[in-house]
Amino acid sequence: MKKVIGKTLSAALALAMTVSIAACGSGNQSESSSSSSAANTSSAATTTTVASGDPVKLSLWHIQTTEPMTSNVKADIDRFAKDNPKYSVDVQVMQNDAYKTKLKIALSSNTAPDIFFSWTGGSMNEYVDADKIVDLTPYMDKDNYKDRFMDAGINQATYKDKIWGVPVENTSVAMFFYNKDLFAKYNLQVPKTIKELETVCDTLKKNGIIPFSLANKTQWTGSMYYMYLANRIGGADAFKNAAARTGSFEDESFKQAGTIIQDWVKKDYFNKGFNGLDEDSGQSRTLLYTEKAAMTLMGSWFLSTAAGENKDFMKKVGSFAFPAAEGGKGEPDAVVGTVGDNFYHIAKTCKDPEGAFKAIQYMIDDTAVAKRIEAGRVPPVKGVKVSDPLLQNVLDAVQKAPSVQLWYDQYLSPELSDLHKSTTQALFGLSKTPDQVDKEMEAKAKELAAKK
Amino acid sequence: MKKKFKVGKIIVALLALIWLAIAGAPFYFMVASAFKEQFEIFTTGVFAIPKGLYLQNFHKVIEGDFYKYLFNSIFVVGVSLVLILFTSLFASYPFSRFKFKLNKPLFGIIVAAMAVPIHVTLIPVFQLTQKLNLYDTIFALIGPYTAFNLPISVFILTGFMAQIPKELEESAEIDGCGKYRTFFNIIAPLSKPGLATLAIYNSVNMWNEFSFALVLTQSQKSRTLPLSIWEYQGQYNANIPMIMAVLTLCALPMILAFAIGQDKLIKGMMAGAVKG
Amino acid sequence: MQATRSLSEYRKRSTLTATTVFLLPVFFFILIFIIYPIIDSFWLSLHEWNGITSGKAFLGLENWKTLLGDKIFFKAFLNNMIIVVLSIAIQLPIAMAIAFLLDTGGKKLNFLKMIYFLPMLMSSVAVGFLFKYTYDPQFGLISAVDTMLGGQGMVDVLGDPHRAIFGVIAVICWQFIPFYMVYFLAALSSLPVEIYEASIIDGASHSQYFWRVALPSMKGTIKSAAVLSLVGSLKYFDLIYVMTQGGPDGATELMATYMYKNAFTIGKMGYGATVASGMFIIITVISLVTLRVINGKEEA
Repeated sequence: MKKVIGKTLSAALALAMTVSIAACGSGNQSESSSSSSAANTSSAATTTTVASGDPVKLSLWHIQTTEPMTSNVKADIDRFAKDNPKYSVDVQVMQNDAYKTKLKIALSSNTAPDIFFSWTGGSMNEYVDADKIVDLTPYMDKDNYKDRFMDAGINQATYKDKIWGVPVENTSVAMFFYNKDLFAKYNLQVPKTIKELETVCDTLKKNGIIPFSLANKTQWTGSMYYMYLANRIGGADAFKNAAARTGSFEDESFKQAGTIIQDWVKKDYFNKGFNGLDEDSGQSRTLLYTEKAAMTLMGSWFLSTAAGENKDFMKKVGSFAFPAAEGGKGEPDAVVGTVGDNFYHIAKTCKDPEGAFKAIQYMIDDTAVAKRIEAGRVPPVKGVKVSDPLLQNVLDAVQKAPSVQLWYDQYLSPELSDLHKSTTQALFGLSKTPDQVDKEMEAKAKELAAKK
Repeated sequence: MKKKFKVGKIIVALLALIWLAIAGAPFYFMVASAFKEQFEIFTTGVFAIPKGLYLQNFHKVIEGDFYKYLFNSIFVVGVSLVLILFTSLFASYPFSRFKFKLNKPLFGIIVAAMAVPIHVTLIPVFQLTQKLNLYDTIFALIGPYTAFNLPISVFILTGFMAQIPKELEESAEIDGCGKYRTFFNIIAPLSKPGLATLAIYNSVNMWNEFSFALVLTQSQKSRTLPLSIWEYQGQYNANIPMIMAVLTLCALPMILAFAIGQDKLIKGMMAGAVKG
Repeated sequence: MQATRSLSEYRKRSTLTATTVFLLPVFFFILIFIIYPIIDSFWLSLHEWNGITSGKAFLGLENWKTLLGDKIFFKAFLNNMIIVVLSIAIQLPIAMAIAFLLDTGGKKLNFLKMIYFLPMLMSSVAVGFLFKYTYDPQFGLISAVDTMLGGQGMVDVLGDPHRAIFGVIAVICWQFIPFYMVYFLAALSSLPVEIYEASIIDGASHSQYFWRVALPSMKGTIKSAAVLSLVGSLKYFDLIYVMTQGGPDGATELMATYMYKNAFTIGKMGYGATVASGMFIIITVISLVTLRVINGKEEA
């Protein structure tokens, strides 16, 4: 998921832009020397140690490489610097993968930027445990600022009863996107249960249409099917307990989820060769555009990506929630996704956390929220209104969801997450049985828990 | 006998044609796609001839920071290449010519260094770069680029120099030339074809290097072309033609350099300076 | 008598100084950017470090014990060996054949040479991208060719755990044959023209010239190429990372990708350094043994 989150953006909007990355980041370099005196003050410093008039230089890293998001972030930060003239902010925008590597190196050598983000879950917890980021609870509590955000977003940013990040970018949940024309042609109804979904798939197969398009080299793509099946069968708690070690990855619900997936693979519900296809290069979407496939389970960024790549196709697109499991414990309205996507943190090494927090606030104030909606996003704040009906579907799904399950690969620690992704891929490839996969997950989880 | 000769020729010609297709097809795909509109690639098929010469992709790429990346790449590759050529020329001389105790062990170190995967050294080199205050400058890349291309260069050049007949320098030595004069007057000029091979091989390698550039530089001002491919790839998502335009533009300087350099390479060889 | 001894001593000493002067630059670079970082990596392999905390916990040989029992590392090593064998078996003969063709063709074939060399001029990112589409079971070139030959199409290469490694090796060969082609071409061109002319006048065919004259005199070059291919294959990383990231289900995992995954994806820097150091030891041993075998034969 991590990879795609960075791409939540419309490629169409990308088309309209040209220079973007060049616009930010340059130009700020020369100022660095002037602020070094301010930076030399005590490390535990807050505003008390920084004289109010002294210029403060902050640094910020983000990965919004597509327009208009690049300019939006820049505009937000420019407004902040204009209103607070003593601050200058060096904004670096980088590509997703580069970001992860660089941040890791920067954190270990204590040269991290003052403001950066994570997708919460395992990586954020790691930062907290390593004492790398500032506890934002006092800032979030001040004037009840946290009430501005959707509760699920705040929950996501909470670890050890404290809030560590500010949800800023987007609300993305996974749902089925389907070709309405194909459904109409074969007289198909939107399925409400997994059994109905299978009937739909069988009809499509009979007519030579691939039911699900999937590009699973990327691994988290297949994981979506697994997460939803486990959620519908065992309820949200099955996974939560397994991750918290109050439950087990050998729980019956995981086994059933794995069995259903393998059953679907054997029935050829997915396109051939999915384990070698790359989601990031659009290889799964091509199947939908060419009407060789009818459905895909994907994060809601699918809407903007597909709109950017193929406007005509969007006229045919509908969406529906993952169907309920007959007799399953899970609530049919529960969703899998993220409420906030990019959560901004303040590094422990930051000399002026108060100023840094203020800067973050400008990225999710009313102006910023309006701009993000305009760009086809659903900012994680309460009372958002969107005009696009498909986007409204996403918003509805989040608002009525009794629980939001964060993507497994972000929720789990990096090591367990990697195992989850590779075993799920093996599951899809039929090279491991559900039992083997669950055993491996459980063994690794036990091993990691023992280390703590 | 004659028949056999013909069969051999046919097989070779067939191989030539097959290889022409294999080597050329993906390249054709890259260039042809670069001239396509974004969606053309899905509708007409990946390998179809473009409908027309759609130049928008190239326009957009060049409007950006392309020239800055280009300059950075040329600078880093140029400086590193000069260092590599001189250093490996120096080093290959004693390895191929002198008899001294440590010859084999030292050459062993060079061979071993050739096998070192750069990822082993990534973090220590990053920390070193920071200590030297070179982090996030293009100068940071010169050291690692030179160091990591030296072993293979020395290896190739030593093999090459070993083929230069010893009689030449022996007669020079009898004429009273010292080691240094022998080196500069006889060995170095005779090694030109070998150096040409090194120049081409190393430029291509460094031009396309990715990992060090990713870790040792950070801001726009110090980015090189391959890194920009990664940036563009993030920026244009699944806009394949756009990415292909970037790839084409990045490969173009190397192709030009090879087109020009190839001739020199062949001339150097044909000059008969080296006769095994 | 006295004079000759001092002359030979003088010679010896001058050789020594010259050697030192000539070797100084290369070892300066190698020491700073290769040897020191390796030692640092070995040091790191004795620690547990997630890459984020400032302190590292000392583990002793714990990581090394894990490595010895690590099935994935073993599988990665085997994959590396498959690449070694197939690279040498495929790349070198094809490269030699093409080089010979280009050599006998002379200048007329310069354009062909240009195209033949194209794969080498592209970065792995670009090559990886191209082949993702070439291998696409629905829309790719391989499936198209299969359909033309009367097959079903829909050929799955990268998604099939048994085929993926060969799919990637094909691309590696595609990318590196041009290098060996140029390498052999340089050697062929350096063979004296007279020998070629003489053997042709003697009535030998091109192929006879190749088998009886050119090939034997290129022994050294071929050995060097084999060693280059060997170490290149053992430390291979780029294309696998771009195309499969070691998948599906570890089918294309290599030592280098496994190292990268541990250090930079999962964040086990200490274990990543262990994998890297282990890989370093394996590669060094294999290349030293190979060199010894080759050199031993040369002496015999």
